[in-house]
Amino acid sequence: MSKSVPLGKMAGEEIVTSGSTSCQGCGHAVLARLAFKAFGRKTIFTLVPGCIWITLSRNIPLFSTGTVFEGGGALISGITNGLAARGIEDMNVVAFYGDGGTADIGLQGLSAAAERNEDVFWICADNQAYMNTGGQRSGATPKYAQTTTTPASDIRRGKRTKRKNLPFIVAAHDVAYVGTASIAYPSDLVGKIEYAKGLKGFKFLHVQSPCPTGWGFSPSDTIKVARLTVQSGIWPLFEITEGSDFRLTYKPRELKPVGEALGPQRRFRHLTDEESQEIQSRVNGQWKQLLEIDGKRLPF
Amino acid sequence: MGHKELMVGNKAVAYGAVLSKVQVASAYPITPQTTIVEYLADFIAEGKLDAKFIEVESEMSAQVSVQGASWAGARTFTATSGPGLLYMHHPMMGCRLPIVMAVVHRSNKSMQPDHTDLMAQRDTGWIHLYCEDNQEVLDTVIMSYKIAEDDRVYLPVALGLDGYILSYTAEPVEIPDQELVDGFLPPFKGRSAPHPDMTIEEWRANQARGAGGYGTQKAWIDHHENMMAAKEVIVEVDEEFGRVFGRSYGGLYEEYNCEDAEAVIVAMGTIASTARPTIDALREEGKDVGLVKLKSFRPFPHDEFREMAKRYNAFGVIDRNISIGSGGVVFNELRSALYDVDDKPSAIGFHTGLSGEEVTPGMVKRIAEKTLKAARGPVEPLVEWV
Repeated sequence: MSKSVPLGKMAGEEIVTSGSTSCQGCGHAVLARLAFKAFGRKTIFTLVPGCIWITLSRNIPLFSTGTVFEGGGALISGITNGLAARGIEDMNVVAFYGDGGTADIGLQGLSAAAERNEDVFWICADNQAYMNTGGQRSGATPKYAQTTTTPASDIRRGKRTKRKNLPFIVAAHDVAYVGTASIAYPSDLVGKIEYAKGLKGFKFLHVQSPCPTGWGFSPSDTIKVARLTVQSGIWPLFEITEGSDFRLTYKPRELKPVGEALGPQRRFRHLTDEESQEIQSRVNGQWKQLLEIDGKRLPF
Repeated sequence: MGHKELMVGNKAVAYGAVLSKVQVASAYPITPQTTIVEYLADFIAEGKLDAKFIEVESEMSAQVSVQGASWAGARTFTATSGPGLLYMHHPMMGCRLPIVMAVVHRSNKSMQPDHTDLMAQRDTGWIHLYCEDNQEVLDTVIMSYKIAEDDRVYLPVALGLDGYILSYTAEPVEIPDQELVDGFLPPFKGRSAPHPDMTIEEWRANQARGAGGYGTQKAWIDHHENMMAAKEVIVEVDEEFGRVFGRSYGGLYEEYNCEDAEAVIVAMGTIASTARPTIDALREEGKDVGLVKLKSFRPFPHDEFREMAKRYNAFGVIDRNISIGSGGVVFNELRSALYDVDDKPSAIGFHTGLSGEEVTPGMVKRIAEKTLKAARGPVEPLVEWV
């Protein structure tokens, strides 16, 4: 299992350079800095269309290539096999994709690469909508969130359905590692990468990346919003090792009310008390279930 | 030299990949390509081929995964047919990696062969080579790597063989000796291949050779120039293949029994093979009509057809395809190539063999006779379905 790495002990070289064209307060930029510091120089990162390619990729001076939106899983599979055919086995092959390239158009290739247990590390930087094209809903957009394709009005209440449970979808493939992480918990995040990058097989890290532009909060509040979603149980931090050993890596004694996390986000401003309550009960129920399986083997 | 075996076209493809020492292969099952995947899996399981095989969930992933492997420095192979090829279209578009792909032709309106599948990839920037028999298939796989990996070209190659007619039909095929193939085809050195001991600066400089960057018009210009450079490379590789293995295919095209011909028919794939004895018979009857077998559709031999236009008075172009709303793809391109020629020969078109409909020697004879007539005066209609 992973061990959290205190901020003062993060030893890696700073790889990501400053001056990216990402929006102010972009969660992806923080994530890239932490993640590639943990991966180090012997890393190839790959891209599919999205915010990362457009705004950040030039600030990550590593071997890299990109492909079509739906091709992320196949690209990393090809690269790791191509390197292995040349006798190179000591490079990290990293997918650094958004939620669209992972959960929607990329899901088929993700599933196939996971099923083959390819020796790659997939990071999903999840800002919960198609932010690069202006904020349309994705399969990772939470219920009730307003996006440009799920506006809220008296008759429509934002997105109608819950987001896909991505980490459990991947875990059902019996892979080397599955984890969730938050940019507000860098010790946990870096600890997970440090641990999992040494494993052979398919590694998946699902990182929430709050988006001030799309979610509608002040760019200075990115980390605060990220922290509140974890503290309220909306974004639980856990990992699944050895294919099915489940463990919560952060367990607040008491969850904060979801309203504290949703309040600063314009995309939830239309919520009625009843709708907020529905989210609260669902989070409570899920948290209870997660506590029950904490430290246990999942039934797959 | 080498030894002969009776084999179907799909096995000839797989043998070509084995002899070319492919390092990473990926493909998804689709009729009539499927047995290529099975033969390759067998060759790997028997230890005849030391390659990684990526068992993908779709043709799109087959295409992208070999692109990933090629980018990472491995020699790669994939294969597909008809609908699978259409599903690959997105990642094929603009690809500039030296991948070789066999396309076992399957119509878009039946499971039988025609060339509508590969013709639909006309503008993807791949080299397109059409084969007429199983020996040519095996030889073209090997030649394709040499063409694709040439520094002047560095582009992917799709080689076509007609489904069923070749894919599932056994013919005697000579399998060249591995040593000779090794001498002809050196190991692949990938332009974009990363290495843990390489600096990013070195890698970037290496990768940038000859490739205009994404987001610029120059990327299109460079791609087109590399494609046009492939014309001489295809001819060179074919000649060298002939010297080493004793077989050659004319490079971009082959003129068969064309000496002093008044008119020529132009055919691709297995129709060319049906046409040979028909042309021989017509010549014996004293009818001066020859055959031009078009092997390279991309790059298209515009200049070469203009040269031929000085010698022949008529071209009868057989299209096993149709661009709906326009006409025969090869006919239109050939006719366009002749526009600037003084004292232009006539060019007439024929569609035949679509959806796998049989193309008989009798049909080819009719086509040839009409073309001969066109060499002497106007004929009607300009284009017809045979």
